[in-house]
Amino acid sequence: MVNNCIKIEQLSKRYPGESKDSLCGINLTIQEGEKFGILGPNGAGKTTLISILCGIMEQSSGNVYYWDREAKSDFAAVKQKMGFVPQEYAFYDVLTPMQNLEYFGAMYKLSATVIAARAKEILKILGLADVKHKRITTFSGGMKRRMNLAIGIIHKPSILFLDEPTVGVDVQSKVAILRILNELNQNGTTIIYTSHHSDEAQEFCTKLALLDKGKLILKGKTDALIASHNVNDLKELLLKFTGASYRD
Amino acid sequence: MYRFWIAFKKEFLILWFDKTGLALMFFMPVLLVFIITIIQDSVFQIVNENKITFLVVNKDNGEQGTHLVKMLDDSRFFAITQNGQIDTASINKIMHDDKYLIGLVIPSDFSDKLIQKTRLISDILMEDLELQDSVNNGEELLMPSLKFYHDPVLQENFSASFINIINAFVKSLEGDLLIKQFSELLELEQAPEKLKEVIGSNQVKIDKLAATLSDNDITPNTTQHNVPAWTIFAVFFMVISLGNNIVKERLNGSFIRLKTMPTSFSLILGAKMLVYLFAVFLQVALIFSLAKLTFPSIGLPDLMIPSNTLAFLVVVLFTGLAAISFSMAVGTVADTQEQANGFGAVSIVILAAIGGIWVPSFMMPEYLKVFGYCSPLYWSLESFYTLFLRGGNWGILLPNFLGLLIFSLTCFGITFAKLKRERIL
Repeated sequence: MVNNCIKIEQLSKRYPGESKDSLCGINLTIQEGEKFGILGPNGAGKTTLISILCGIMEQSSGNVYYWDREAKSDFAAVKQKMGFVPQEYAFYDVLTPMQNLEYFGAMYKLSATVIAARAKEILKILGLADVKHKRITTFSGGMKRRMNLAIGIIHKPSILFLDEPTVGVDVQSKVAILRILNELNQNGTTIIYTSHHSDEAQEFCTKLALLDKGKLILKGKTDALIASHNVNDLKELLLKFTGASYRD
Repeated sequence: MYRFWIAFKKEFLILWFDKTGLALMFFMPVLLVFIITIIQDSVFQIVNENKITFLVVNKDNGEQGTHLVKMLDDSRFFAITQNGQIDTASINKIMHDDKYLIGLVIPSDFSDKLIQKTRLISDILMEDLELQDSVNNGEELLMPSLKFYHDPVLQENFSASFINIINAFVKSLEGDLLIKQFSELLELEQAPEKLKEVIGSNQVKIDKLAATLSDNDITPNTTQHNVPAWTIFAVFFMVISLGNNIVKERLNGSFIRLKTMPTSFSLILGAKMLVYLFAVFLQVALIFSLAKLTFPSIGLPDLMIPSNTLAFLVVVLFTGLAAISFSMAVGTVADTQEQANGFGAVSIVILAAIGGIWVPSFMMPEYLKVFGYCSPLYWSLESFYTLFLRGGNWGILLPNFLGLLIFSLTCFGITFAKLKRERIL
């Protein structure tokens, strides 16, 4: 039996001073072990939804359940099982990969021994072992993107949120990042992912939710959604439901 | 504890790698303390030890001009060069070419007019005493002018001091002449010399005493003023390093990332504050030690450390907290690192100016003094002055601590509100 990882009920968010909801009555269930894509054009509400799920901001109304328990009941325990990889290079580039992992690992309440072991393992997987004592300022964009991912998985999270994890990297780094994410997923990590790359999302995500103007337009298995709406790929599906006009 | 140690280590490393920030916090203030103290001390020495170059053009036909020059020379303030041949038109050029700081032209009728004046006074007195018939015809006496020249770069207060010295000597000459005049009129042969002797040997003395509140033998001097003042300036210049550090963490998403972790944000900010507080104590230790150890060997006054060490440490603590809170507020309010740098640096210069770091607060106009109370540098400087110059105790320090505390709490409030608005807290 597959358990619910995240269950969202009637979730709405209105920012202070705004007249319209940024998220409006979202209902969604993400099950353990899924690779779940949250897609949509600019301003659809993807970042707002991920921010609420990660605890960065609070919803205006509605509920979020993690493993069928309400988030507010013990969010510190939920955070311990949660990894977040933002679109920005959210680390300290004057420090080395080891120093960054030591810091963020400690913030995940890991011990020095666990951090050392995990850092060694992750940096090897991500191809950063040889530069673990070099300052990140000297790194390429692809190396920084992998470093960003390393911090999000230092504590072996059960749920991993990724906001555009492959933006601005070369093909080699992109392939490596997606391979590592697939490996993490095979080892039981539920992955929740946003991207503007529809081809990448189609290849990577087993399920997806399509948001537009704060509302949930579509949800379901990726292949089934493409087949049932008579389109060739995810890009056509997105354009069919959200239109071709600019959104920014 | 492990988490706090790692957070402390990370903040320390970030500060350690910030070479510009470290230079602004440690190297620049040491230079400032040395340079400003040396400059101010040399100004003090120009007046008190080195003689002022003084060109005197004595055109007086009588003896009083020569007496005046002798009195000026005997004062030992001046290195006098006399040249009676110079005409008034060329004195400016000679002063400029030969680098005289001040010049004086004594007119040809100087003695004559002084004698006329004293004669007039003595006649009036003799008439009042009915010892002489009226000789005063009521004509007004036109006194001559001494022309005082000064280098345009000489500050107004120096010029005023020199004019006061010359005035005092002229008054003395007038007094001598008056005694002489009376003696002649009363036909007293020995009286002038005796009177001069009595007046000269029984002058009222002025003892200069510092109004301190302790028994410490602390002498106010340039060192006692400059070392604390520029140390405070240096402490507040952490705004460049800490302000930048916070802007960067806000903008690159590190703060947001930390919010998704099961850790308290107060631990993160606490570690940051502790590292910078540690840096503040290091700054004070470095600057004060260097001043204490090196100033006497380069001819500057010795730095006297206050005896109340605990109060001294508390003053440093409050100053550090105020600087940290201000830097954090700048770091959270600024949208870019450039804004934090520009605003941080300029605001510290302004706060230093109104806080009395450059010019003492008591010399400022009243309305500016009110602004000065808003400057944490003012309260910090007052605390240091209370300890270093006035020998004050806890009771006198308390209002200063309160000023620093109110400032710090206001800045922490701004930081909290902005981080809350950005959903970081």
